[in-house]
Amino acid sequence: MSNMIKLEIYRYDPEKDDVPSMQSYEVPHEQKGMKLLEALNYIKWHIDGTLTFRRSCGEGVCGSDGMNINGVNGLACITPIAGLKQPIRLRPLPSMEVIRDLVVDTTHFFDQYRQIKPWLQTTSPAPEHERLQTPDERAELDGLYECIMCGCCTTSCPSWWWNGDRFMGPAVLLQADRWIKDSRDEATGERLDQLEDAFKLYRCHQIMNCMEACPKGLNPTAAINHIKRTLLNRKS
Amino acid sequence: MVRQTRDLGSAHSGFKDWYWQRLSAVVLAVLLPAAFVLLWGVYTGALDQLALLDYLDSFVSRLLHTLLIIALMIHAYMGLKVIIEDYIHTGLRVFFIAVMLVMMSLFGMWWLALIWAWGG
Repeated sequence: MSNMIKLEIYRYDPEKDDVPSMQSYEVPHEQKGMKLLEALNYIKWHIDGTLTFRRSCGEGVCGSDGMNINGVNGLACITPIAGLKQPIRLRPLPSMEVIRDLVVDTTHFFDQYRQIKPWLQTTSPAPEHERLQTPDERAELDGLYECIMCGCCTTSCPSWWWNGDRFMGPAVLLQADRWIKDSRDEATGERLDQLEDAFKLYRCHQIMNCMEACPKGLNPTAAINHIKRTLLNRKS
Repeated sequence: MVRQTRDLGSAHSGFKDWYWQRLSAVVLAVLLPAAFVLLWGVYTGALDQLALLDYLDSFVSRLLHTLLIIALMIHAYMGLKVIIEDYIHTGLRVFFIAVMLVMMSLFGMWWLALIWAWGG
């Protein structure tokens, strides 16, 4: 039975269960390079149809299947099973309310995203063609635009666990920096005004769990530090 | 329809805390080791009590010592305030911060009084 993958998965249906429990599954290791999401799909389709999880693109682009894998947040679809210690323990993203099993309520997370107005804001009249950027200006957005808002970083951040009602969290602040850095955006001042707050921004204590967790290899801490430095430049 | 977010907006206040935390850290990084060098001198016997007092008695020493205490108080206040804000989520938060501020102010003033009183 060495070719079986052992998993222990968090099961919880708030409408039926009093407390969450861990359920064991065994899935055949069918091919080399098998990803965790494929094991979950196998369970869903062949063993236990009641297991609930989010997934969509299956290749690390949509950010749906963020979960806590052996204690570390990541995307199931791009996590190879080969590198994981068994039994693989899967839990929902920490500090978000569980809707069912591995599905969490992201409402507040996306409310916070909406607060930073994640779109291009301009006051100048639209030019006849598109708003242009030089290659250098475009390169400024590298390391920021790749964020897919999966929530792995934000839910790994202790500052967000304790003060998530007000602290924006790494993902949203990285997105905020993406718009602060954008050469075409004309609302930089207002964006900085909105973030200059002991809780919204400065609750980041550079714990750097976000950087460890990011499945896309981004560095939200660096983005947050850039926002802090920009505020410093404005004041001194 | 896009949900409206309800939010109290920015307090425009975090920057100063962050700035003073770092500024006081720089002062501490310079002055705190100096205090330990003196202490080390006492332990190794390189400084006896009178020699130590000679160092501490000079006007420059007292100024630097004052700066050290002020930086220490600011740094500790900012740091503990952040910890209280992190872990206490009720109205008690403001109470604890206030108590800490009063106690640390008293401690700092007492220490400053000592610095400027001795030796006459």
